[in-house]
Amino acid sequence: MKGRFTGLIVVLLIASMALAACGSAPAEAPAEEVAAEAPAEEAAAEEAVATEAPAEEAAADEVADANALPRNETLYFNGQQWGPVVGWNPYSGSNNNGMAISQSDNARVTMFETPYLYNMLDGQQYPLLADGAWSWNEEMTEITFKLKAAAKWSDGTPVTAEDVAYTWATHVKYETPTGAGNKDYIDTIEAVDAQTVVVKAKLDENGKAVNPLIVAAYLSTNYVIQKAWTEALEARSGGDATQLLADTAEDVVYSGPYTRFFADDTKVVLVRDDNYWGQDSSMWGKLPTARYLAHTIFKDNAAGTTALQAGEVDVSQQFNSNVQDLWLKQDLPISTYLPDAPYGIGASLPTAFFNLKSPGLDQLAVRKAIAIAVDYPTIIANAMTNQSATFDQVPRSLMNPTAGEQAMYDQAAVTDLQWAGNDLEGAKKLLDDAGIVDSDGDGWREYDGKKLSYVATCPNGWSDWQAAIEVVAAAGKEIGIDITTNYPEWSVYQTVVTKSDAPLPEGYDIFMMWSDGAGPTQPWGRVRKMLSSEFVGMASNWNGNWGQYSNPQADELIAAIPSETDPAKLKEIYTELVKIYLTDVPSFTLMYRPQSFHTVNESVWTNFPYDGDGTVPPVPPLNLTDGWSIAGLYNVTLVQ
Amino acid sequence: MGHTIRQVFRSGKFVVGFTILMSVLLVLVVYPWWVPEPPLQILGQGTFFPPGIYVSAYDASNAPVLYTLNLRDAADKRIESRLSQEDRLAMQEWLVADGLAESAIDLADTDALLALWEEHYEPDRRLPGMTFARMRYYQRVDAGLDSLRSAGGGEILAARNPETGELEETGMVKLTDYANISQVANVRILPLGTDNFGRDVLTQLVAATGVSLLIGFVAGLIATAIGLTLGLLAGYIGGWVDDIIMFFTNLFTVIPTFVLLILISFSIGQDQRGAITIAIVIGFTSWVWTTRSVRSQVFSLRNRDHVNLSKLSGHSLPRIIVADILPYIASYVVMALILQISSGILAEAGLSILGLGPRTTEVPTLGLMMNWAMIYQAHVLGNWWAYLPVLLTIALISFSMNLMNTGLDQVFNPALRD
Repeated sequence: MKGRFTGLIVVLLIASMALAACGSAPAEAPAEEVAAEAPAEEAAAEEAVATEAPAEEAAADEVADANALPRNETLYFNGQQWGPVVGWNPYSGSNNNGMAISQSDNARVTMFETPYLYNMLDGQQYPLLADGAWSWNEEMTEITFKLKAAAKWSDGTPVTAEDVAYTWATHVKYETPTGAGNKDYIDTIEAVDAQTVVVKAKLDENGKAVNPLIVAAYLSTNYVIQKAWTEALEARSGGDATQLLADTAEDVVYSGPYTRFFADDTKVVLVRDDNYWGQDSSMWGKLPTARYLAHTIFKDNAAGTTALQAGEVDVSQQFNSNVQDLWLKQDLPISTYLPDAPYGIGASLPTAFFNLKSPGLDQLAVRKAIAIAVDYPTIIANAMTNQSATFDQVPRSLMNPTAGEQAMYDQAAVTDLQWAGNDLEGAKKLLDDAGIVDSDGDGWREYDGKKLSYVATCPNGWSDWQAAIEVVAAAGKEIGIDITTNYPEWSVYQTVVTKSDAPLPEGYDIFMMWSDGAGPTQPWGRVRKMLSSEFVGMASNWNGNWGQYSNPQADELIAAIPSETDPAKLKEIYTELVKIYLTDVPSFTLMYRPQSFHTVNESVWTNFPYDGDGTVPPVPPLNLTDGWSIAGLYNVTLVQ
Repeated sequence: MGHTIRQVFRSGKFVVGFTILMSVLLVLVVYPWWVPEPPLQILGQGTFFPPGIYVSAYDASNAPVLYTLNLRDAADKRIESRLSQEDRLAMQEWLVADGLAESAIDLADTDALLALWEEHYEPDRRLPGMTFARMRYYQRVDAGLDSLRSAGGGEILAARNPETGELEETGMVKLTDYANISQVANVRILPLGTDNFGRDVLTQLVAATGVSLLIGFVAGLIATAIGLTLGLLAGYIGGWVDDIIMFFTNLFTVIPTFVLLILISFSIGQDQRGAITIAIVIGFTSWVWTTRSVRSQVFSLRNRDHVNLSKLSGHSLPRIIVADILPYIASYVVMALILQISSGILAEAGLSILGLGPRTTEVPTLGLMMNWAMIYQAHVLGNWWAYLPVLLTIALISFSMNLMNTGLDQVFNPALRD
């Protein structure tokens, strides 16, 4: 009896193993391609390692192999993926797939590709799937670009203009996040012939494009997805938008250099597609160096830092506090894009917004007094551990600290409006002059007979923001304004802050949010999201102006920018907007933050991008995955 | 009573524990006299300054008297601080890679080494096989050498003339000039350095210990009060009262206390979580074992002759409990209270490390200090002063209390009495 029972268990075990093997079916396709490409790979494989098993075998125990990737063929990341991957569906906005999918200003192009790649260092868009530069027609209502003849899908079929058009049509039809965000600006995308695409802008009543900036940005922000696969997806989701977006797309067809190899709740691994079209001389001319891109899913930043120290992570996209200690004190082969503070290129402006409906915060004197009393050098030195430019280096404005954006406004014209922070006397005088004084002698000032008492807040666990908010609260106490701090969980915080159709509840008087980083629509996009009143009263406001500031003059200037082409005039408008911003103080920036943190460990791989590395065009420090930064994947080499 | 206390103080363990605890309390009282500034004041611009004595460089060079000391090893020390043996070896490595023979380089001869370095080093050159991090290392070594090259007789002090805006020489600091530290206007001792906010760790630690003790005390009192009351009622009255109380006690026994604590703290929300609120929450979740042990003690007492006599005399229930039962378990209750205080402190630390402790701005607590040190990766980067003293303090307090508890046990427990 007992023997028979054991036998049953063995049978069950074998059956479940067989089932598990079937489960990994999608991963088999690339493995077969590896087999086909094997001869070409031989040279590399020989000098690599002896663990290079015959491809057939590799296919058999592929899943087990994900935990024993050859170190010198694998580039390890951290800080991109938190929690397990949900899906591989490029139409969906909720894949939680940090290695493969991110459609943003600097789109992640490891698996899916955009027509153009944005380079945050020079502000240019470089062709990827596209062939040559795009161009506006004379009236600036249509963009035309061509696709590379060499561009192929992973199934070997060519990438055609029809794919580009159908991708857009699908975005609109199923109201994907991409569709919803662009349909007010893009009318249609059409295929003229197999290689030529025309993007038609939505026109306003004057027959001009509503927003040419966003139309142009679309080309480097959004993936091209295969029409045939999309049709298969539509067929199996029965035309239902929710089902289409919820599909995990295990069978997705892609055009990029990497594809899914392994994913569970401990690790995500992409494997190189050795048939990748980009090895054609019309694009990169070769394959990216690393065969695997792997990302261990860490519990928190500290775990990620420990792995980076141990050389188990090559490229780190996370906030490593006091990153300089890693090389100064610990002598590790670790470096950042810049040798000294701020170590990276600042791109976005984490900002404290005033709830303009809170009693007293409608008063300019109170807002400005708080803003000028805050000790910014301490925020930058302590909260950001110097990983931000200081406001002495880059005076506050609506621009990020890159040279390109700084040149977009006239710094000299706003010098009088600047503040350095820590100006307690100035703040007190401002309040005294406005008649906001402590009349009942309790040590706190009153406005309209009510004590000025505020809560400053940011999400719990966002350590650098929390530390910054503590410094803001400390400043209030110095000038007679009672500011306490509170850190709700992100899940609560985000629903409250983005609900702009109702007044913010108690506890959200001064709150932190981000601004746009670097991208093809910047700085216009950032300025708009900081100042434009179009976000006042929006039900789900993920854009900006969460303090609900409204100024018709600013709105007018913001609306004028997208169709303005004269640089001098643009500079004038931007300067005017910075003036408004610094005068009205609807919010105040606390620090500069890089687009991505980018710290590399050269224990195994080297030749990562760094400032002055001589690459033309310069490879930006975006972890070799985002926008033009992907070019860095072709430059890395093994340490000799 | 006096006899009991004398007995207690004859227990070596109790005395040691008591002395430790009292010393801690003494420090709490005395320290603020010495450093009167508020514990949460941000002193340092920058994170995790190491422990040490900080001397104002400005005040030192402007001290009223500068003394000339001719110390033999001064020059060597100065060079060593800029150019360690490791750096020299690295420089040699570079020079050899550049084509020099290893024998031609004398590492001990600093001047010769610098001359060679000057001649051969190119900051932007990457030798074959050299990582970028290594290239930056050489750039840093090279930058550090600048001060060695320029240090002739000393440094010239200069100030900007407010009228002309030009630099004018105001003095000279010679290599042999020394300031007496007692004459330097600003010297600050940071025995435990600073934390991630640039706050003085020791000042914060003292304040936090006080707050944590208070939290532990309040939590302990509440837990003991609840546990004692329920235990007395269940044990003495028995019957359905016992059943009901034991039902709830058993219920709480099977739910892990800490999980309950986490859930309650989380649902209170951070803006409501003051230090005392946390203490109350801890108190209300940790009474269970006190109830059970008090109840079993009372069980053994309730059929004693003097209790029965009291009953026969028609004494009321509260009076019997207070006068005839409580005194017999009083020593046990004191011991339980000490343990409850100790575990209350630990519970606060545990909660705060998870980010569920008291909100941060008002008062420091031991757990919060650990929490921030962890968030800013002090343990990863080797900044031990931000967390180790906190750990030791927690350990010391728990240790002293457990020692006191064991000592009391030895005195009161007949089975353990010598």
